[in-house]
Amino acid sequence: MTHGCLRLFACAILIPGVALAQQASGTTARRAAATHPDLSGVWTYAIDRAPSALKKDVDGVVTIVKIDQSARYADTTSVPGVRPSTPKPSYKPELRAKVQDLFDHQSKTDPVFYCGRPGVPRIGPPRKIVQLSKETIFFYEDISGDPYRIIPTDGRPHRDRANPSHYGDSVGRWEGDVFVVDARNFVEDTWFGEDGYFHTDAMRVVERLWKVGDDLLWQATVEDPAVLTEPWTMPARLTKPSTDSLEESPKCVETDGGKLLNDDHHLQR
Amino acid sequence: MRHTVFPVGSLVFTLLGVASLHANNSPSAIFDMQKRVAVTGTLSKIDWINPHIVLTMDAKGEGGKVDHWTFESNPPSWYRSVGLARADFAKALGQTISVEALPARDGSLFGYMRKITLPDRTTLELVTN
Repeated sequence: MTHGCLRLFACAILIPGVALAQQASGTTARRAAATHPDLSGVWTYAIDRAPSALKKDVDGVVTIVKIDQSARYADTTSVPGVRPSTPKPSYKPELRAKVQDLFDHQSKTDPVFYCGRPGVPRIGPPRKIVQLSKETIFFYEDISGDPYRIIPTDGRPHRDRANPSHYGDSVGRWEGDVFVVDARNFVEDTWFGEDGYFHTDAMRVVERLWKVGDDLLWQATVEDPAVLTEPWTMPARLTKPSTDSLEESPKCVETDGGKLLNDDHHLQR
Repeated sequence: MRHTVFPVGSLVFTLLGVASLHANNSPSAIFDMQKRVAVTGTLSKIDWINPHIVLTMDAKGEGGKVDHWTFESNPPSWYRSVGLARADFAKALGQTISVEALPARDGSLFGYMRKITLPDRTTLELVTN
């Protein structure tokens, strides 16, 4: 009886608090949505995935489950707002041999092959976005871990004492209905794309995201005047709403590196 | 030995996708894409890890000794996307399963699993997407 009373008392205290919190959260979300398009939600993978399907046979009933790669490879060039892109960045002539060498030995030189962090923009569009009034949070799933980026949108500048990192220091702003994320202050040990695309700590990445109907368009431009002859705008990716909730990625333990018998490698993201 | 190795057409493995979610090494740098090994034994361990899930099997070898086979396969997130979880394999722990895999080029008891037959005869196979 006493416990029941205590529980009742606790509920009387807590329920209004929870309700207020939910109301406040909802108000925040509505305010964000009222001012700008709301990008919040879970989005499909838009990176290279194992290109195999699953064939399942249960008591003679065969089903095949395919992997949707359309967000990675669909042609987005005709989508309004998409900027002209090139399939590859343009490196300074004296650095092209290095890029080719990294590419030729990718199985042994690509940090991502050994559980390294892909960094920005190689990690692709976020898997989940939480858009608030003063900041937007990007969540990712990756074999190297599950990074997040907290992106201020209240006009504050880049942090002048932030340490260099794989995902950089980001600030966001709106250009009409386009959310623009400016990231800089990167460490140098990532590749910004497959095929040996190394960079320096001068790299700056600008990502642009906007809604196309119910879908989300993501396009990134890489600037690094120390290695590139011009900024590289990547082909845009169009990702779709997803009902697949995020899940903690299991630890990454790469053991194949010592078993490589040649330099074969395959297309990565 | 309780395992067999047989050649297959190259087209099968040209079409077979064994890339990981984000990145891994090329299967052809480690595995013989022209052969397939079939092994039957007891599923002894499951490592649900990136960049590949790993299954360990104890199979009867030559002279009655036990061979400890290791098979890797696609990453956990791929299995999640096709509706499979660790639990779907864990129910077979300690029981007899059969695996068809690309054998390691170095001749070790290691392969890339492309098909597994579970104790209830359910088969799961990687095919062209």
